[in-house]
Amino acid sequence: MSDLPLSGVRVLDLAQVYAGPTCTRILGNLGAEVIKIEGLKRVDVTRGLVIADNNAEGDFWNRMGYFLYRNAGKKSLTLDFATPQAVALFKRLVPHADVVVESFTPRVMAQHGLDYQSLRRIKPDLIMISLSGYGQDGPWRDYSAYGMGLEPASGISSLTGYPGGDPARTGISFTDPYSGILGAGAVLTALHYRRRTGKGQYIDLSEQEAAIPVVGYALMDYILNQRLPSRRGNRSPWFAPQGCYPCRGDDRWLVLTIRGDAEWRAFCDASDQPQWAEDERFGDVLGRLRHHDQLDELIAAWTRQQDHIEAMSLLQGAGIIAAAVLDPKQVLLNPHLRERDHFETIDQPGIGPRPVPRQLGARFSAFEAASRGPAPKLGEHNREVLQGLLGLSDEELADLEAEKAIGDTPLFEAPIEAIRTDLEWPLETLLEMGALAALDPDFKRQLGID
Amino acid sequence: MSDLALEGLRVIDLSQGIAGPYCTRLLADSGADVIKVEPPGGDYARNLGPFPDDIPDPDRAGLFVHLNASKKGITLDLQTQSGRVVLRKLLAKADVLVENDAPGHLAGLDLGYDDLKSEFPQLVYCSITPFGQTGPYRDFVGNSLACMALSGLMYVTGDPDKEPLCTGGEPAEYFAALNGWVAVLAALEHRESTGQGQHLDVSMLESMGAADEYNTTMYSFLGAVRKRFYSRHHVAAYPADIFPCKDGHIVVIGGVSGFPTGMAILLEQPVLEQLILFQNLWMRAIEWRQFEEIARPYLLEHDWQEILTRAQELRMPFAAVLDPKTLLQNAHLKEREFFREIEQPELGRLPLAGPPFRMSETPLRHGAAPLLGQHTQELLLELDYSPEDTVILRERGIT
Repeated sequence: MSDLPLSGVRVLDLAQVYAGPTCTRILGNLGAEVIKIEGLKRVDVTRGLVIADNNAEGDFWNRMGYFLYRNAGKKSLTLDFATPQAVALFKRLVPHADVVVESFTPRVMAQHGLDYQSLRRIKPDLIMISLSGYGQDGPWRDYSAYGMGLEPASGISSLTGYPGGDPARTGISFTDPYSGILGAGAVLTALHYRRRTGKGQYIDLSEQEAAIPVVGYALMDYILNQRLPSRRGNRSPWFAPQGCYPCRGDDRWLVLTIRGDAEWRAFCDASDQPQWAEDERFGDVLGRLRHHDQLDELIAAWTRQQDHIEAMSLLQGAGIIAAAVLDPKQVLLNPHLRERDHFETIDQPGIGPRPVPRQLGARFSAFEAASRGPAPKLGEHNREVLQGLLGLSDEELADLEAEKAIGDTPLFEAPIEAIRTDLEWPLETLLEMGALAALDPDFKRQLGID
Repeated sequence: MSDLALEGLRVIDLSQGIAGPYCTRLLADSGADVIKVEPPGGDYARNLGPFPDDIPDPDRAGLFVHLNASKKGITLDLQTQSGRVVLRKLLAKADVLVENDAPGHLAGLDLGYDDLKSEFPQLVYCSITPFGQTGPYRDFVGNSLACMALSGLMYVTGDPDKEPLCTGGEPAEYFAALNGWVAVLAALEHRESTGQGQHLDVSMLESMGAADEYNTTMYSFLGAVRKRFYSRHHVAAYPADIFPCKDGHIVVIGGVSGFPTGMAILLEQPVLEQLILFQNLWMRAIEWRQFEEIARPYLLEHDWQEILTRAQELRMPFAAVLDPKTLLQNAHLKEREFFREIEQPELGRLPLAGPPFRMSETPLRHGAAPLLGQHTQELLLELDYSPEDTVILRERGIT
């Protein structure tokens, strides 16, 4: 599709794991050609995460769910920056690129002579973005950072948790997708400026800083009133009642928010509890806030009799914010999300079709932002890129392969059999522990991908 | 004097609340001229606080300032034909419209995308709603909590023996803001080559769902239904959890190189290195309570700063658990000058969360948020209304 907004834009993607690959998958879905670069000794660690059908035989690094999700539609080039040839080849690629994306700790690119100042000498209008945990300067710049630590470091966890309990994290590395999409927008902004002025630039994105605006309300309360928030579980600072209530069945829940007196009466009607509407403790918003605990008990007594999906429909029909808490399987099967094509089905060689969520929650009327193919096998495009863009001969390519500067098989430090053992998850044990709610051997049939 | 990346771009912002306004704030910070169109009573976020000393005042609302910095403000009653005439004049000079009304609401006022596209073919029209413009839930009402629930992310957040937990800070609103912002920028690039605007349909639910790390992937690849399991979603990488320490909390993460040696040194018991618990990752994930028993006493005797510094010296990616106060005091953020003071009318000088990323040639700006109707007169005169006209529009309650 030539009318995609970023067709003709080429991205060299050195990023790994989650934030950076999210950024470049979005750019790819918008039409950019993304060349993902990995070292054979340092392949993207997500090539080892969520292995298809829990089977780590053969070239498992090409069959990983985590990797596939964020790298669908990209090209794969292997270059090991520990070798001087690889650094030289990368520098030869830069003039062919519009954007370089990297997510190392700040010292790494400079160590290889690949910092922005060096690269812009090769390509003056280059756009480069560094996604790091804490940014390119400041006392924490060299801190090792994982997404799991950055949500708490951004302040969000201080607001998340059960009343009276410890701060809690979301069930994802929150700041990674957040920074990934923010990075994509930053690159688009830089491309806009480059088109207007011909100038490239460097973008320093700190994942910690990126997510701080999410706590804007609490920050402002501290700035204006020197007041710190308490963790309030699922309650709202503005509305009452609000909460997460148990429903019929095992681990089924419904959330709801009542925004005002009219909605409260509508709720009492819809749930067929007219006596609640007459209870003067709950008649006004201040009363509902003060008697939230009693209200929660009454509402839970009603929801326990309800199916969570049916209760959502019933209450939504009455104009009330109500939503079923879906488990990941129910999300995949949800009729609304399916009708809106929230999932892209990626037909991955060696695995078969698998649905993964799109990376953008936006639909465009003028074009479709979708992945242009499966995730690349390791080194799948070595020849295409190195010969097509740089004109290397067959001999030169063979030499690089012989020197293990490029290839299609990771150079693992540990024995490969030990790695295979670790990669296959003890699913039955995780189920017993309670980290899994269920295991469906027939999941492919349930998803319609068998 | 640096340039602004989006200089020359004009955005008409009809949105209220969080998602739409933060989307346009990102455009405004990059230099777009964002005109916030509020009903005469104001964006409802002006009533959400926090207010200094808890005295409600639409021009002293903290969240509103956070979301609407660097914009201009005009009041306009779009329920009236006269108000819509003014809006169309604004749109004639605009590139982008952002709105977050319920699907079909603006169409009912002849302001839907289909009503405007022939008159303004270059307009990028961005709609941000809880569940999108199509599908069985299009007319459902929603908020961040509902999107956490339906995206599946709430099911996997919290303790396994308790109710699912929503993330603090209305995260789905902010994710939707970012998705709308990226969509607008992409549509502007598309317009460069085609000359055509388009309609963008941003769903808050799908924006949150797109952030799923591998919860749905665990089902479509393993048939495993993930469930919330404390603060560790990488069950295979324990510990990656928030622990109490002497003066607060600390995120304990071993990382790829933290075990067995680094953690044993940190806990000042080198002999721990010999334990299978320290050597085998699955053993650790399954027998996690044993690790907790070993680590807790040490952590409770030390301050978070000290633990963090030592762990990082051992190349373990421990992290701080910061709150609004410690964020504002944090030495790292201070040295990076993240919080930046603005002069906000009615509130005075106050620090504002800084740009979420830095650009070397086109630094992001941070200006004040508009008072209610602050730029109405200026913008009406710019549209060639006479001073007398502006009085009539005010008298009739149009502005």
